[in-house]
Amino acid sequence: MAADPALRLQGVGKRFGRTWALRSVDLEVQPGQLVALIGPNGAGKTTLLKAVGGLHRATTGTTEVLGFTLPEDEDMVRVHSTLLPPHGYLYEQLTGLENLRFARLMAGVRPSRRELDAALERVDLVEAGDERVGGYSSGMKKRLAIARLLLRPVELVLMDEPYASLDAGGIDLVDTIIGELRGSGATVLVASHRWERAIREADRLVVMERGRITWTGTPGEWMEKREGPADTRRGRSEARGADEGDTGTGG
Amino acid sequence: MEVWLRTWAILWKDILIEVRTKGTFNAMAFFAALILFIFSFAIGPDFDLLRRIAAGLLWVGITFTGLLALARTYHSEELAGGLEALLLYPGEPRAIFLGKLVGNLAVLLLVEVILYPVAAVLFHMDLTGKILPVAGIAFLGTLGFSVIGTFYAALTLHLRAREVMLPLLVLPLLVPVLLGAVSATAALVDPAAAGGVAGWVRLLIAFDVLYFVVCTWTFPVLLER
Amino acid sequence: MTELTASPRLKGWHRLLAFLAVATTVVGSIIGLFVVPPDAMQGNVQRLMYLHVPAAWLAFLAFFIVFVMAVLYLIQRDPRWDMIAAGSAEIGVLFTALTLILGSLWGKPIWGVWWTWDPRLTTTAILLVIYVGYLAVRSFAADPERRARWSAVVGIVGFADVPIVYLSVTWWRSLHQPPSSPMSMAPSMLWTLMLNVVAFTLLFGYLLVRKYQVAVAERALEDREAMR
Repeated sequence: MAADPALRLQGVGKRFGRTWALRSVDLEVQPGQLVALIGPNGAGKTTLLKAVGGLHRATTGTTEVLGFTLPEDEDMVRVHSTLLPPHGYLYEQLTGLENLRFARLMAGVRPSRRELDAALERVDLVEAGDERVGGYSSGMKKRLAIARLLLRPVELVLMDEPYASLDAGGIDLVDTIIGELRGSGATVLVASHRWERAIREADRLVVMERGRITWTGTPGEWMEKREGPADTRRGRSEARGADEGDTGTGG
Repeated sequence: MEVWLRTWAILWKDILIEVRTKGTFNAMAFFAALILFIFSFAIGPDFDLLRRIAAGLLWVGITFTGLLALARTYHSEELAGGLEALLLYPGEPRAIFLGKLVGNLAVLLLVEVILYPVAAVLFHMDLTGKILPVAGIAFLGTLGFSVIGTFYAALTLHLRAREVMLPLLVLPLLVPVLLGAVSATAALVDPAAAGGVAGWVRLLIAFDVLYFVVCTWTFPVLLER
Repeated sequence: MTELTASPRLKGWHRLLAFLAVATTVVGSIIGLFVVPPDAMQGNVQRLMYLHVPAAWLAFLAFFIVFVMAVLYLIQRDPRWDMIAAGSAEIGVLFTALTLILGSLWGKPIWGVWWTWDPRLTTTAILLVIYVGYLAVRSFAADPERRARWSAVVGIVGFADVPIVYLSVTWWRSLHQPPSSPMSMAPSMLWTLMLNVVAFTLLFGYLLVRKYQVAVAERALEDREAMR
């Protein structure tokens, strides 16, 4: 037997009022894997990432993350994982630096100026560090959120739409960062509408639709399935959902 | 240690945001003073009557202004995407409550620093030589108010019709605080008022301690998603 | 999720409970209305006490149950505790309202006014508002899990307020007039009162069981709708 999986979900469902955002999701991810989640808006990708990161409590099923059981060990999961949220969760009246400083303090660490500067430098935001985030472009906000993500070295990284609203340079940066995270042995889950390098090179591709996992395999297999003449409408519509649009709003 | 850093993080962040959008505080303080003015008009220029009910009028003003402030407790998080913004980081969730509580307490106490002198002038309240005890009562009352308010602001945040729900839930619970603060203040400033101060002070302390413990203990339940 | 079905065994004893509740209520009312002599001072108006006191007792019992169920729910997260709490709160609000109406009906001939700031009356009125708030939170939260969680918190925080409210209102009134003291009672009156307390408690138990059964059915329907 291999080591404990980084992620083990069995029958996980999440209900909001009268709708189920996740319905009986089973998923196992080995440590160090890069897993890409694709699917149309409202497929449940965001909810799945939040459930794994300990932000949402699942309504049904069992969720084990890094050997911890949710929701009991929610805080331990948060210690060892980090999430790039789709909407940033940034305070617009604070500067970029202040936002990062807040994140460090909230994690219980008094940050040094050098540490924060290094984080800003990583995402090419040093000059804008003392400007209020309200004046940032959406691409700059995304970069700042990525800098915040990298402040804490963790074993599990969850990224929700990392490519959304980024320019070509930003997309390259995200691909490089994902590559480095992988090199450091971290497990990475990326939900994306865009078919960028990290998605193409993922160890595993998970396709979601209406709260369920409808297909898993390698990105190569998915491309074959999608372009193969045997498979017609259904496959194509899913594939379109996977590489179209970068609205930045996940399911 | 970590708890205090987190508490400080919330407080520091909210103070910065409050200072940078200072229009809200000024408007709130102005509103509070305006309420006291309106009371004077509604009751008429009978100074004996006004002096007798001054403590009550003052605390009604504090209550209304306080409700406005409390409704804004998590405003910065709402703009940033929701209370979830605070769950991205590991650590004691109760620190979030503590940070928000101290913030609300500070805002309300600042409003009162403006409101008490205004009330003293408008209602002929004699505060000379009694400023410290009166301030002590104000602090105890405001603390109870802030504990309940900070807690229920988080509860009503995602509730439909929350503008109505916050006062509906908070006001009945605050009856002991209002009775205590008004009666004790009245006993201090109005020599004709009946009753002692010590009993009310004990009641306010009991309320503050009880609800500080209950609300701090149950707050994590409100953060679950 | 926990499978929510009413146990079939419940049916046998809830019928018995219904019978006992109705029987004691009827007997208690007859004795209270016709058998026990009227009060020497207050006359027949005093007979309202046989309803007023049991209703007030039930209100407090109901809210105590809400409190206990809320604590249990937060510890175990079993939706059944929440359903019992909800049922108990609804019955409690009903009986609190009844207590207030009976109290003011009694107060009009005795005190000459419909309403007075008597500590017990005032506390009951505040209690009513607190638990109307509880029911409002329930009706404004769509998601069953959130509804249970939020209302449990309201049930705990609200109940903790009851003794402080009573104490504060008593002090507040005592500045102006002594609180109405409990009157001494003839043994026959006391026994009638006790019988009515038992009758109301049985009635409460029966209503709670029925409320719980309805809640289980509603929840099952809600779950089925959500699965679509």
